[in-house]
Amino acid sequence: MGNEVETSRKLNRIIFILSIFGLILAIYVLQSFLRQSSIVCLNSGCETVRKSSFSYIFGIPVPAFGLVGYAMLAILTFLRTTSKDIRLLQWIRRIAIFGVIFVSWFTFTEIFVIKAVCTWCAVSTVNMFAIFYLSLKSYNIENYATHG
Amino acid sequence: MQLTGETKFFIGLIIATFLIIGIGVAVYSRPEPVLKREELITFASHTRGNIEAQNYLVEFSDYQCPACGTFKPLVDQIVEKYKDKLLFAYRNFPLAQHEFAEKAAETAEAAGEQGKYWEMHDYLFANQANFSDEVFQEGAKKIGLDMDKFNESLKSGKFKSLIQDDISYGTTHGVNSTPTFFLNGKKLSLFNQSDLETEVAKAIGE
Repeated sequence: MGNEVETSRKLNRIIFILSIFGLILAIYVLQSFLRQSSIVCLNSGCETVRKSSFSYIFGIPVPAFGLVGYAMLAILTFLRTTSKDIRLLQWIRRIAIFGVIFVSWFTFTEIFVIKAVCTWCAVSTVNMFAIFYLSLKSYNIENYATHG
Repeated sequence: MQLTGETKFFIGLIIATFLIIGIGVAVYSRPEPVLKREELITFASHTRGNIEAQNYLVEFSDYQCPACGTFKPLVDQIVEKYKDKLLFAYRNFPLAQHEFAEKAAETAEAAGEQGKYWEMHDYLFANQANFSDEVFQEGAKKIGLDMDKFNESLKSGKFKSLIQDDISYGTTHGVNSTPTFFLNGKKLSLFNQSDLETEVAKAIGE
């Protein structure tokens, strides 16, 4: 039991750090969208993606979704340090599920529609998948601890 | 809300993140100093374009640096395209690792003394891959310099201090690689070659 609490706490820490990292990425990319300034990128993909109309959903730039998602994840993981309420973890899992669907859809759009890949989006995709995996793992541990 | 040790740890992480971002933003958003026109383009600098133009582009370059050679046609194109609206100046920044760079700069200055700076400038860039003393001599003959005067000037080493002045001015004002461009006194950070024309066009307002 003690071991699981420890693991769960570590997982929560990692999810929190990854969320903050995602948040920083989203803020950086979003400010480039809003100021129409170029994005420092490892390849030339960022600019192509930034200028594509597919990078806006109902007029909202894609990184804004990332910003909200990562911010919610950061807040929820933070709240988990003060409360053991399982609903917090349930919400983290829901947001992570939505997150991976969203990043998968966007990666698909980048490759097949925009035909360019932005480095930061790819990093964010990997980041969101990692959060998703960790949240599932965390959820399994908690479920086991409560019901097992 | 009860502050557990874990909560404090998270608050610490948040504060650390803000600090790092704050420092990062402060470092990167510090505005680049704008250098004075009369300092960047001195009476000794060689210029092309319209001397009265409001916009000015200054290049610190090395005749033996391959990247400078790659930029050369692009710079020529920009200077030609905006010849009425832009003043272009070339300043020497020969790098120590290039054996003939300083000699080439002196050769260009010696040609400049006879009013043929840009002819020599073009010749040097066209031949930058095979620099040697013979190549410099051939160039001087080719553009029709008075050879005695040319060789005498080179031998006297009278351009060395001029070139040294360019280097020390560049070094103290943030030139650490070649080519480095200053547009209207501001150092340009170019991610790729085409950015140069984009920046110039933006400054001129086209």
